[in-house]
Amino acid sequence: MKSFGYTAVRDPGEAVRLGGRPGTAFIAGGTDLLNLMKDGVTRPDRLVDVNGLELAWVTETASGLRIGGLARMRAVAGHGSVRRGWPVLAEALLASASPQVRNMASIGGNLLQRTRCGYFRDSGSPCNKRVPGSGCPAIDGWSRGHAVLGGSDACIATHPSDLAVAMVALDAVVLVRGSGGERRIPIGEFYLRPGTTPHVENVLRQGELITAVEVPRTGMARRSRYLKLRDRATFEFAVVSVAAAVELNERRVRDVRLAFGGIGTTPWRSPEAEEVLRGKDLTADTIARAGRALVRDAKPRHDNEFKVDLVQRALAELLEGLR
Amino acid sequence: MTELVGRSVARVDGRAKVTGAAIYAADQPVPDALHGVLVMSTVARGEVLRIDASAALAHPGVVAVLTHRDLPKLVVPHFPYVKRFIPMQGTAVHHVGQPVAIVLATTLEQAQEGAALVSVDYRAEKPSVVIDDAREPAFLPQPFRDRPNEIRRGDAASALREAPVRLEARYSSATRHHNPIEPHTTTARWDGDRVTLFESAQGVLVTRTVVATAFGLPPESVRVVAPYLGGGFGAKGPGWPHTLLTAAAARVARRPVRLVLSRAQMYTSAGHRAEYRQHLRIGATREGRLTAIAETSTAQLTATEDSVFNRSDSTIGLYTCPNLHVRHEGVRLDVASSSYMRSPETTSHFGLETALDELSWQLSIDPLELRRRNHAEFNQETGERLTSKRLLECYAMAAERFGWARRQPRTGATKDGDEYVGWGMATETHTFAAMPSTASVTVGVDGKALAQLATQDIGTGTYTVVTQIVADALGLPLRDVQAQIGDSALPPAGLSAASATIPSISGSVDQAARAARDAVVALAVADRHSPLFGAAPAEIETRDGRLVHLRDRHRHDTYRAVVGRAGEPVRRTATVLNQGGHTYGVVFLEARVHARFGSVRVTRVVTAHDLGRVMNRRTARGQVLGGVTWGIGHALMEHTVFDRNTGRVVNPNLSTYLVPVNADAPPEVETLFVDKPDPASTAMGARGFGETPITGVPAAIGNAIYHATGRRLRDLPITQDKLL
Repeated sequence: MKSFGYTAVRDPGEAVRLGGRPGTAFIAGGTDLLNLMKDGVTRPDRLVDVNGLELAWVTETASGLRIGGLARMRAVAGHGSVRRGWPVLAEALLASASPQVRNMASIGGNLLQRTRCGYFRDSGSPCNKRVPGSGCPAIDGWSRGHAVLGGSDACIATHPSDLAVAMVALDAVVLVRGSGGERRIPIGEFYLRPGTTPHVENVLRQGELITAVEVPRTGMARRSRYLKLRDRATFEFAVVSVAAAVELNERRVRDVRLAFGGIGTTPWRSPEAEEVLRGKDLTADTIARAGRALVRDAKPRHDNEFKVDLVQRALAELLEGLR
Repeated sequence: MTELVGRSVARVDGRAKVTGAAIYAADQPVPDALHGVLVMSTVARGEVLRIDASAALAHPGVVAVLTHRDLPKLVVPHFPYVKRFIPMQGTAVHHVGQPVAIVLATTLEQAQEGAALVSVDYRAEKPSVVIDDAREPAFLPQPFRDRPNEIRRGDAASALREAPVRLEARYSSATRHHNPIEPHTTTARWDGDRVTLFESAQGVLVTRTVVATAFGLPPESVRVVAPYLGGGFGAKGPGWPHTLLTAAAARVARRPVRLVLSRAQMYTSAGHRAEYRQHLRIGATREGRLTAIAETSTAQLTATEDSVFNRSDSTIGLYTCPNLHVRHEGVRLDVASSSYMRSPETTSHFGLETALDELSWQLSIDPLELRRRNHAEFNQETGERLTSKRLLECYAMAAERFGWARRQPRTGATKDGDEYVGWGMATETHTFAAMPSTASVTVGVDGKALAQLATQDIGTGTYTVVTQIVADALGLPLRDVQAQIGDSALPPAGLSAASATIPSISGSVDQAARAARDAVVALAVADRHSPLFGAAPAEIETRDGRLVHLRDRHRHDTYRAVVGRAGEPVRRTATVLNQGGHTYGVVFLEARVHARFGSVRVTRVVTAHDLGRVMNRRTARGQVLGGVTWGIGHALMEHTVFDRNTGRVVNPNLSTYLVPVNADAPPEVETLFVDKPDPASTAMGARGFGETPITGVPAAIGNAIYHATGRRLRDLPITQDKLL
C-alpha cells in the first residue's frame, strides 16, 4: 500500500483548501476508499479526513429534507422524517451494504463510491476507468454486473449506489463547496456517462466536497418505494433495482419519477418510461409499455441480457404495489 | 464413567477463540521477522523476460526483492504437494497469479508497496482457461494415487442398449474456491539447517514432509506449528508454493519471514474445485432398478498436472448397478492447480442425484422410493456385504420428520404468495479416510491430564472431542483435561482432510488414556500410602478425578494424590489403526422460487445421517449446518469467473465471489443422527463425517426447484436469471 499523508480537519474552508491539491482525497467513512487503496486501485498522496466537520445532520424544512454530507447511512435510514416523507430513501439505504458498513459510511461518500466492476477493481487488468486508454475487458468479458444502458465503447460499468438511484427519483440537489465557492447541482446533472472519458464520473472538481443533499418535498416523494433484486438475500449490490415515486389522482398518474440501478452506467432515470405513465392509469398494460420504453435503447452484452427482462419485471412489481 | 463422548459438549477452545486468546499462525510473535509479499504473474501463459526491482528496492523499508535468480533450487515434492512444479525456479509462466518475485520489507505496508513497484516484462501467449476454450480434446489422465480414472463393471454399453428405460443428461458446474476466512500464511524461521514454520495447515506432518523434501532436509529438521485454523475446507491440506517460497526467502535473507496471502492471491495459490462437465446415461427397468450407468466427466486440469480430484465415487458405488462405465476425463488449461475441496464428490453427485430425480419423474415413482429400490447392500466394487450401513434408517427418520409422505407428485402444484413451493431430496454420501495416528496421554502430578498428538483442529472441534475422550477414559472432569495438537513435534498423526480426523485419532487417544488410567490404578494399588493399597485393579472405578473401590466405597484416592506421591507424571502412548469407508445420509428440503424474479430461497431442511457413533452432538450438528449452508451457496451462488481473454480471475474477493450470508441460511434445519456405533470402526465406533452433509444439498435444491416450477436446471450455480 502506498504511503500517504493524513490531515484531519475541523473547518470546511480548510478542508476545501487542502483538498484542492492534486493527489488529495477526502475520507469520511472510508468503507470504499480504503478498499480501493489497499487494492492499489486508487493511490492518493494525501487524505483529508473530514469527519470532524459539522455535517452529520438531517433536518426537515418547509421545502423538504436536508441531509448533511457526513450523515451516516444508518442515521438517515432510521430518521423519522425520512421514513415518513421520503420512504424510498430509507428503503434504498436499508437495502445497501451491511449494518456495519451503514454505521460508518457517509451520504456524500455513498454518492461517490466507485463501480464494483471486477476489472476496475483488479489493478492487474486493463480498465479505461482506472487507466485511461488501457481498454475495457468487460465489453467482451464478464459483463453480468454491467450496464445495458448508457455504455460506450470505453466502459459499461454500473454505478453501484442504491441511494443515488433513490435520490434521482426524488430530484435531489447536491450541494458542494470548493475553492470557487458553493454550487448546487441537480442530481440528474451530477453523474456523467462514460463516453470517451469513463475516468470522469461526475462533475465534481478537485477539492469540491459534498456538504449536503437537498430533497424537495413533493406528493410523489411520500408515495415512493425501492425494490432491489440481487444474487443473495442481503449484503450485495443490485442486479437490478428500481426507485419509483408516484403521485396518483385516483388511479391516474399525476406525476411520476422512475430511476434504476444495476442497468445503467449512471443512476438511471427514464423520462421515456415516466412519459408513458403520466396521465394514464397504472394498469398492467401501461406498466408494460413503460417497461418497454425504459429498455428501448438497451444494449446488452454476453452475460447481462437477462437484465433487460428482469428490470421490467421489477418495475411492474414495484408499480403494482404503489397502485 | 461420565460419558461425555456423544453428548453436546461446547467447544473447549471456544472462549479462547472469541476472546482472541487463541494464537493463530500469523499472530505468532516472531521477533525480527520480515514481511514478505509475493509478486504474481499478470499473464496466464508465457515467460518472464525481465524483472525490474529498482523502484521497489528504493522504497523505504524494502530489504530485498528475490526472484528465480536468487532462490535455492528446490526439489518438487510428491503428493500431497499436488502442484507439480515450484514457481520462481525458472521463467516459465503457467497461470495468472503464479509467484514471480517476493518482496521482503520491515513492515507489511512497505512490502505491499514494494510488490506493487516491481515491474515485470512477459512474453505472453493467449491462454485457455475454461473447458469451452480448451486447445485440445479431453483425455483420460493417468491413475491418480493408484486409483484409475476409468472404471468398468459388467457391460454398460450393452445394458444401456437393452434397458427398457433410458435417461441421458449433461450436468455442469463452475469453478469454486475454498475461501477459508483465515488466509493462508507461513512464518519461517531458520536456525542453522533447521526450520520452524508457523503455518495455517490442515496437516502439520504432511507440510513437514513437503518442506523437508523441497529443501532436502531430514524431516526432524522441520517443525510445523498450527495450533488453530480459521477454516481450510481442503485448501490447506496439500502443500503449496507460498510455504516453500517463504521458507526459501527466509533462508536467503537470513531473517525470519512472515507471509500472508491476500484474499485475491488465494484464488491462484491453493487449489480450487475444478470446472466440471458430466455426461450421464442411465438404463433402468420400468420399476426403476438401475441396470447401467455410463458417465464421462470432464474436469479443468492444468498445463503441468492432471490429477482429477472430483471423482465420481457415488456414481461408482452408492447404488446397486451391475453395469458401469465411468471415465474421469480432463482438459489442460492455463489455470492454477485444482485440488480437493469440501467435499470432492459434491460435483459429480449433483449430476447423479439430479438424474435419479429425473428418472423418478419419468417413471412416476417417488424419488425416495426410487432410491430405496436401488439401495446397495453390497460394495459394488468388491461384492462384500456393507456392514453397519444404516442409510435406510436415515431415509425413514428424515422422511417422517419432513412429512415427505404429503408430497404432491406434480410440479407447480403449490404456490404461496409470490412463490412456488417445491420439495426435493437427495442421498448424501462421502468417502472418508483414516490415517495412522499416535497419541500420548500424560497424567501429571497435579492430577490433570494432557493429550498430545500432531493432529489439527480445522474448526471442526478436535480439541473438544479429544478432551471428551480422555475425560471419559480417565474419569476426570473436562476442565482437568487439556489437548495439545497442531505441532509436528508431537506424536505423529494424520492429515485433517477427507473427514479423517475423528476416525484417525479417536482410537489412539482412547487407548492411550485408558493405558494411563490403568497405570495410575496400578500405582495406587501398589502404594502402601494409598487407601486402595492391595486392591485388585479390576475393583477400582475412576470418576470425577477419584479412584474408588467398587465394593468398599470408603476406600478411595485421587489422581492428584496417587501421581503426586509417585512424584513423576504417568505417560502412555498408543497407536490404533483404522480404515476409511463411507458415511451416508439424506437431505430433504423445501425451496421457494419467486414466480416473477426466479430467485430461490431454501426455507426448510431436514437431514439424517449415519456416521456411526456421534462423538459430540453439538459439533456434529455444526457440520450439518455448515454443510447445508455451503450446499446452498454451491447450488445458488458460488462461482469463480475467469476472464477468457486474459485468464485472470475477475471476482477474487468475498464482495464478488458470493457465499451465503445469514439471511440466505434456512430458518430451520433439523439434524437427525442414527447414532449407532459402527462395530468395524476402531475409532470408538465413529466414522468420518464432516464433508458428508454438503453432498446432496445442491441436487436436493435443484430437485425442489423442479418440483416447484417444472424447470430442470442442470448447470450450477442456479442464479435467478436461469429461472426467468
